Amino acid sequence: MPRKSNLSRLDMNSSSENDSSNSGRSDRSLRVAENNRKKSEAEDPFVLALKYFSQVEEGTPWKGNDVVERHMAVVERVALSQGLPPEAISVLLDFAMSLRMGAALCVRVLKILVPASVVPQEAVIKGVSWLCVGKLPMNAQTMFIRWVLTVFDLIDSKDHLRAIYGFIFSFVTEDNLCPYICHLLYLLTRKESIRHYRVRKLLDLQSKMGRQPFLMHLLALYKVFCPELVTLSFPSKMKSGFRNHNSTWKVALSAVQKKNKAEVFSDIQLTVSVKKQPTSKKRKFKGHLMVPAMSSVPRIGTSNNKAFPLEQLRTFSQLLENLHRIELPAQMGSMLGSPLALHYMDCVRDDSAFLRLNFWLGHSLHEEFLFCRDSDSEDMTEAVRFLNTLISTQCFLQEGFSSTEVFLYKFLRVWDGALLRPQILGLLSDIPVVPSSRIKDLLFEPLMQLFFTSSLYFKCSVIECLNSMLLKWLTWHSVYALEDELDISVTSHTPLNMTLSGLMDSVVQLVQFVGRIATVGLQLEGYHPLLLSFTLDFYETVCDMYIKYNLPLVLMPPAGVFYPFLLATDPITVDRLCHIMYRYRTNLISAKDQDQQTEKAFHISRKTYREFNQYVVSIVSCLWNSRVFLAGMGIELSDEVLAQSKVPEYWTTFSLIHHPAFMGYAVDFHQKCWPERKKLDLNSIRTGKRWDWYVEFLFSEGFQGLKEFVESSLNRRASDREAGATAVG
Amino acid sequence: MSLKPYSKLPELNTANVLLVENEEEFQKRLSEAIVRQENSVNVTVRLARCLPLPVENAEGRPRIDLVVFIVHLRSEQSLLSTEASLKHLDSGYFLGKVCFLVTGARSGTVSYERLASIKRTAASLNCPLLMTEDKTTEGVHTAAQRVLNILKVSAGLVPMASGLYLSTLIRCSMPTDSDWQNQD
Repeated sequence: MPRKSNLSRLDMNSSSENDSSNSGRSDRSLRVAENNRKKSEAEDPFVLALKYFSQVEEGTPWKGNDVVERHMAVVERVALSQGLPPEAISVLLDFAMSLRMGAALCVRVLKILVPASVVPQEAVIKGVSWLCVGKLPMNAQTMFIRWVLTVFDLIDSKDHLRAIYGFIFSFVTEDNLCPYICHLLYLLTRKESIRHYRVRKLLDLQSKMGRQPFLMHLLALYKVFCPELVTLSFPSKMKSGFRNHNSTWKVALSAVQKKNKAEVFSDIQLTVSVKKQPTSKKRKFKGHLMVPAMSSVPRIGTSNNKAFPLEQLRTFSQLLENLHRIELPAQMGSMLGSPLALHYMDCVRDDSAFLRLNFWLGHSLHEEFLFCRDSDSEDMTEAVRFLNTLISTQCFLQEGFSSTEVFLYKFLRVWDGALLRPQILGLLSDIPVVPSSRIKDLLFEPLMQLFFTSSLYFKCSVIECLNSMLLKWLTWHSVYALEDELDISVTSHTPLNMTLSGLMDSVVQLVQFVGRIATVGLQLEGYHPLLLSFTLDFYETVCDMYIKYNLPLVLMPPAGVFYPFLLATDPITVDRLCHIMYRYRTNLISAKDQDQQTEKAFHISRKTYREFNQYVVSIVSCLWNSRVFLAGMGIELSDEVLAQSKVPEYWTTFSLIHHPAFMGYAVDFHQKCWPERKKLDLNSIRTGKRWDWYVEFLFSEGFQGLKEFVESSLNRRASDREAGATAVG
Repeated sequence: MSLKPYSKLPELNTANVLLVENEEEFQKRLSEAIVRQENSVNVTVRLARCLPLPVENAEGRPRIDLVVFIVHLRSEQSLLSTEASLKHLDSGYFLGKVCFLVTGARSGTVSYERLASIKRTAASLNCPLLMTEDKTTEGVHTAAQRVLNILKVSAGLVPMASGLYLSTLIRCSMPTDSDWQNQD
């Protein structure tokens, strides 16, 4: 504050030198204000408490010491309601770690060290140096490291901490501290910190303690930076290594941060005399899913360092200029919110960045959301915002993170089908190709259980989600397909290297799964037009797999889906079915040509051709030839049953004239042809040239799919109104 | 005396569901949500703490089309009571007329063993097991809707579908995911 007033005085002197009296007066008023402030500060019990803790003599007894108790109470109240300012953190941490008043008070102070804004790096360094003295009891040691882990993102810069990497590393040999130290090292490690003897030490520890997840994770990070030093192989899916250590401070910290956020933004300096606010009770937050702000990390006073911190990037051209010397932020999660950072991730393909981001993401999703401790609150806005950010990030990078995938598989098993539905289904549609051996367990079983018990809308959104999943798999394939060897994993970060046949197996499984659930789902929902429409969307993707996405695969819809389309009551469904059949034909013909031209091309089984031809025959006989339900025409029913229905000429009931979807058009056409006729006789449309006109009339009403189908699959015999289906194969 | 599924005649356009919950905290809210949601079918919800049901009312009780066991993973007692009640159900019910409703599976304080245990029970009986969020109104609403979906099928109100048919599609599978435990 004094510096600020000096500055303003300088400004005034330079701008209005000739108006000295004026500047003098404002100068005086400033000084008066400052004196007042100082006076009020001197009376503030919190300031007094801090003064006490910074000056208290070593060996002062604490039992029955009322002065300490009073000051502690003040500090505790401020800490839990507003958080502690940086200088208070320094003072209190130094007081605690020096054990000036014994270990009991040390732990008590550590427990309430909730920072309001930032934690000064020097305070942490001092703490580590007290740790090195070696007088602290074990519980205080672990507590201190756990505290550092909790507030790690709030430490104002980390260059000095990185400088004492070796000191911190030396504590890995302490059995109790080792997990926490490994976590801290994980956060601090850079390429320079990795030394041969450190790797050896960790390997020694591993042989002594077994394959502990925290050691594995640290070694995995070492391997990313220096693959030549670490020759271990790691399993592709590791257990989450570092447990959540911050439960002591988390609730208080997030409450304080939320409260202070507004004040920080309005640029109020968090001095000791923060406005006294009515101390609201600690609020419990459901999860603390927040994308952290990109913190300014390193590079204070190290001019020779060339690294360029990512958070200083403002423009795209800056990114291009500094691409080779970008320094990643300390908190990888902050990259999610920044498009420039994502551009960087996308083009540099930095393994360590992906590893760290994945680690952070997996931890957040798992600890804060899936297994959150207090799931009582209904407030989901934070989670919604977080997951939306994640979706848009994945959309930007055009790939899913493996930690999201792991999270989703678990979440599906405990999902009620409504909680955060749009977000969860959005994330689900982003998952990379699931190997066909595991797809049933991971995806189909939980989805089936949800699908058949939930509402119509849920069914529709699941089909939509699976459609976009299939679209993404196909797009990956068409982009990354190579001649012989197919590397479907977009980056080398996922261990999943798929062969073409592996991908095809998964696609076949997915398409068949949708065929199954759509069949039963349609049946349960009474062939609802909405569900029909979403299923049609899916098959519009499926029918074009060969031509559009170059995947040598043609899969026909099952009869339980095809016939409901054909016999639907709305013309749009029938029209779209015709379009799909037209696309199937185009794909099959093109595949057949390919088959004959090249040796290597795939072979479509006879069964597929047979199925396709059968469906075409069904459509033609049903809509055109009025031969539905007769032998060999697809759907067959016994004569007795049909006779029982007492429908005269039942074989005509689904012709283009009588089909419930088109009857309205037939009536309309009838009126146009014979405006004076009183008696409606739709059968008269079938005679003479009228039939052709009627079909033209339907085309003119916008039934393009029908038109495509008629033009491609029908060979019309001039003699009568009969038509034959053109078969493929 | 065990509860039998086919000892009474069904009534027209009616479905009866029995909610069994030892704690009696969730069943009331759920039953209200069920009754509020359904208006095309006469749905009667009956509540019980545990089975067997008292013999006195057996005559006047309508045919029960679906028995729903509400299990709170937060309490061991809930699990034990459910397992005890299951013994008093006629085997005919396990052909698609029983389902489990589990709450609190997403909470971090619940041991995985308890979830695995109820899953094993459900899987061995070929019954569906639904996860629910009992704390939120939206969660209760969803649970009610899902129970209704199953109820309508098991009461024979959905053409061309039966309870047995549906439960073969949605029955719980044996918990095998070992990596789940590792993560926790």
